[in-house]
Amino acid sequence: MSNYFYVAPEQLIRDRAEFAQKGIARGRSLVGAIYDTGVLLVAENPSASLNKISEVYDRIAFAGVGKYNEFDRLREAGIRWADGTGFTYSREDVDARALANYYAQHLGDMFTEGQKPLEVEILVAQLGGKIRPTKLYRIAYEGTITDETRYAVLGGDAETIKGRFATSEEQIHPLGQTLKNAVEALAGPDRKIDVTDLEVGILEDRGNRRTFVRLTDAEVSELLS
Amino acid sequence: MGLPLFDAHNDPGPSFFHFAEATGITTPTMAGTAESPHATTVIAVRFNAGVVMVGDRQATGHYIASRDVRKIEPADRFTAIAISGTAARGIEFVKMAQLSFEHYEKMTDSALSLEGKANYLSPIIQRNNLSSPLIVMPLLAGWDSSHLVGRIFEYDGAGGCYERFDFATIGSGSPFAESALRLGFRTDLDREAALELGALALYEAGDNDPSTGGPDFVRNLFPMMVTITDEGFQELSTDEVGARFRAINDRRTQSGGVAGGTLR
Repeated sequence: MSNYFYVAPEQLIRDRAEFAQKGIARGRSLVGAIYDTGVLLVAENPSASLNKISEVYDRIAFAGVGKYNEFDRLREAGIRWADGTGFTYSREDVDARALANYYAQHLGDMFTEGQKPLEVEILVAQLGGKIRPTKLYRIAYEGTITDETRYAVLGGDAETIKGRFATSEEQIHPLGQTLKNAVEALAGPDRKIDVTDLEVGILEDRGNRRTFVRLTDAEVSELLS
Repeated sequence: MGLPLFDAHNDPGPSFFHFAEATGITTPTMAGTAESPHATTVIAVRFNAGVVMVGDRQATGHYIASRDVRKIEPADRFTAIAISGTAARGIEFVKMAQLSFEHYEKMTDSALSLEGKANYLSPIIQRNNLSSPLIVMPLLAGWDSSHLVGRIFEYDGAGGCYERFDFATIGSGSPFAESALRLGFRTDLDREAALELGALALYEAGDNDPSTGGPDFVRNLFPMMVTITDEGFQELSTDEVGARFRAINDRRTQSGGVAGGTLR
């Protein structure tokens, strides 16, 4: 019979939280913000193919930071959940709140019961329409779900970046201005992020059922100029 | 449904069909003898800048179940799917195809090739048709964005997928439509000629096959006519289709109910 050393639950939770935070802090951060006609997601991402931002459904997008394989698995699960729900019921029954809750439950379970907590933080964004409001749900590594009113910052340096972004985003701006503010907040005062190191996606009504669009480097450059 | 997570070795990948089967979203096919509306004529004709598709609108059981069924649907912007056979299964099949193509795109961040889409449907057709009398026979046509050409894929009852370089037909009116197409098809058809040939072939099928609905001037209901080109899936307006069939009808009236010596 093996011996288990007693570890106080407070200590266990602290250790796990510290472990997850460390993992998340290793990666670059991400900003999600509501602008006048849509939702902007912008991540600092040197890879052009390993995405942090993704389409989930007609009006829902996903963004994740931290360990790529872990949040990508959650992204895939989200797409499957959304397509499965839309197939079983109707496209209009696919709601970001329900998805955010499932994510929160899973992350919470992994945090307390898993071999190790997931080293990720994710954002579920929903573009409002006739039947649902525009929403940003931020879900932390331990399952805490936050309904952010106008913007959310995920990643290691989130508090600092959020502080910078908050000063420039006192009101809702058009896409170009919001993107500029977000990129400046991500970069900080003495750094400039190259356009090729940015991943940008938006949810916006353009007359199509699917509202998610990935912006190309050229489009991002033009918006930032 | 909870959050669908899989182990790496059980992961269904970017295929919605396999995911749906793994989680029980789709019910397994079972043998049965239920009577359900069926029969059709849908035509696909290749021309120099894409594909024209024409389909009748009638659902037939022991009587006419519906006169305004849509048997051609866009599967995505550059692909069309037409169905014949059991209506219920056909509608589910179209839904599954539409969702699968989009699902793949979202999962992998890249769209399936047209040939990939055509092959993807084979096992779905096979699984349905070999285990149930509720047969579904689809037709896939699209604009191939990587090879810049319109392409048509037809299937046999067991799901075999065959590319056709001229034209293809499905449904009970096929023999009549096929005869008209074989007489009128040329490799250098343009859009207008392909539309005209497609309309004529469907008129023939509607004229001879009791389960194919021809133009309905009383209700102003006409066969569906679509083009798939580099501009995507485009459906012709009712007025445009109506005028085309009215012209054919007038010519046939003048020549005593037959084409009158030439394909027109």
